Amino acid sequence: MSAIAEPVPVTLPTPRRARPSSALATLARRRAALTASNPRQILVPLIGPALLALVVAPALKVATGGLHSGIDYESFVGVGAVGLVIPLSCIFAGLSVIVDRHSGAQRELLAAPVPRAYLVLGNLAVALVLSALQVIVLIGLSALRGGVFHITADGVAWFAGAALLFTVFMYGVAETLASRIPKQEEYVGAVPAVAILPFFLAGALFPIGAMPGALTAIAKFLPLTHALALMRYAFVDPSGKGLHDIWGMSSVTTEAWLSLAVVALFAAALTAISIRMFSRSAVS
Amino acid sequence: MYAIEAINLRKTYPGGVEAVKRIDFEVSEGEVFGLLGPNGAGKSTTVGMLTTTIAPTAGTARLVGHDVARSPLLARSVSSVVFQEAVVDGSLTGRANLELHARLWGVQPARAKRRMDELVEAMGLSDLIERPVSSYSGGERRRLEIARALCSEPQVLFLDEPTVGLDPRIRHELLDVIAGLRARDDLTILVTTHYLDEAQRLCDRVAIIHEGSLVALDSPKALLAELGHEILEFRVDGSPARALESLRRRRIAGPDAFAIGARVTVPLHSHAVTDVLAAIESEHLRASEITTRVPNLDDVYLQLTGGAFSEAA
Repeated sequence: MSAIAEPVPVTLPTPRRARPSSALATLARRRAALTASNPRQILVPLIGPALLALVVAPALKVATGGLHSGIDYESFVGVGAVGLVIPLSCIFAGLSVIVDRHSGAQRELLAAPVPRAYLVLGNLAVALVLSALQVIVLIGLSALRGGVFHITADGVAWFAGAALLFTVFMYGVAETLASRIPKQEEYVGAVPAVAILPFFLAGALFPIGAMPGALTAIAKFLPLTHALALMRYAFVDPSGKGLHDIWGMSSVTTEAWLSLAVVALFAAALTAISIRMFSRSAVS
Repeated sequence: MYAIEAINLRKTYPGGVEAVKRIDFEVSEGEVFGLLGPNGAGKSTTVGMLTTTIAPTAGTARLVGHDVARSPLLARSVSSVVFQEAVVDGSLTGRANLELHARLWGVQPARAKRRMDELVEAMGLSDLIERPVSSYSGGERRRLEIARALCSEPQVLFLDEPTVGLDPRIRHELLDVIAGLRARDDLTILVTTHYLDEAQRLCDRVAIIHEGSLVALDSPKALLAELGHEILEFRVDGSPARALESLRRRRIAGPDAFAIGARVTVPLHSHAVTDVLAAIESEHLRASEITTRVPNLDDVYLQLTGGAFSEAA
């Protein structure tokens, strides 16, 4: 091998870096622009839950006579449908991570001087906004169809807290799956397990106490069960019956805080796992 | 300090595939450095390690003094990459793609706008820049990707097979663009390619990588000089290996003579063409298509690697 030419000394530069807030905002703006260019991603997750709230719930109310517990069944299912719209919305958002990977666009982001966690958090920010819009539309449609919601400042806070943390959890699940599953087809195949199954077990359509004892016990470990109970406590069930079915305590406020803590714990854990999975999968 | 340093750099993928085997090289500021080799030689893995998307198994790599493993953000902040395959957001406009890069690399908005306007003009993208990138041709997209990489005024620019898959006219246009970047003496460029004419045209020095190891590193001129001023080629009907062996026995062919398929290549050095022809005659080699020509980098590569390159290219 020939000798290497003599090097010319270079001076150490002062590297220029984006501020964390600016980098996160840029990544979120990118994701928002890509999402806006694909309206299906916004509308499709809403269709099923909207049909559930607008068509299925009133029909079941007529067929079964409702819950016989002083809670309006349409409102009960209206909130229950949130437990479907958030997972579907997040799963769609996770799909775009696979699209980024396959289209190659992810490589430019990986070469950028920003921590790789920001790539996950930027997507999460857009998933949160999108889910919030879908939930507002869903509850609005349900109210227009005859659902009765008791909106108070405290209720909004509980509802928003539960919905936000559950969205963070679900996006963590979606991002983790997207990092682990190489193909879109396989990823879509995971939807029933992560979105549909918990929806049926978590008391979206009926109180968890109506299920066999073993399934009720399982339901208590699902973050969706806690999130739905909180959201119903916030808007349709001030007595906190759903929370009492989980905790069996005398103080509904304590039960609500405990359920919020459970959802927060799941959200924090899945966010950490998803960041780790993404960072590991991004570097070979 | 160098703009790029690779010291004992090694990458073994899970499953034991040793893609890069302890390579060392340094690139000075303002230098255009070519990494040549066939597909699978380890070029993209090397670029991946230097750009922090592939974790080295062993060794050290630095960009402008920043260790890519210990300070990846600093290393990424002084560099940009134009990847081998399309790496754009197709549904966004060209301008949106440039803005995204400038923001992520922390370029001040006013400076970024000025820089983008200059680059869009220089790359001939003015008429396209507001269109979604999905409507661009391959060459237009490549020019956009180069403009994007330069938006952040990197000190080190990686061009990974920048002309692969482009038609000859667009390829030559793009080579002009890249050659124009040489005028910026503060920009260090590492370009990988398996088109040796590109390397000869663009690079101050080239490293030839073969099966994960560097087999040569020097200026194209110095590498060519090793084969002398002229080579003789012929096609042999029979065993090329035996033909080569008999010419070596007669000391007409040196260790740098090589055979690829049925074609034997003999650097002439101090021999006259007639000496080789006489040897062919007396060894009763059934030779045809005998020609002489000036050696090029393909010959250097083929001589060093035994033909893998021609198969890949």
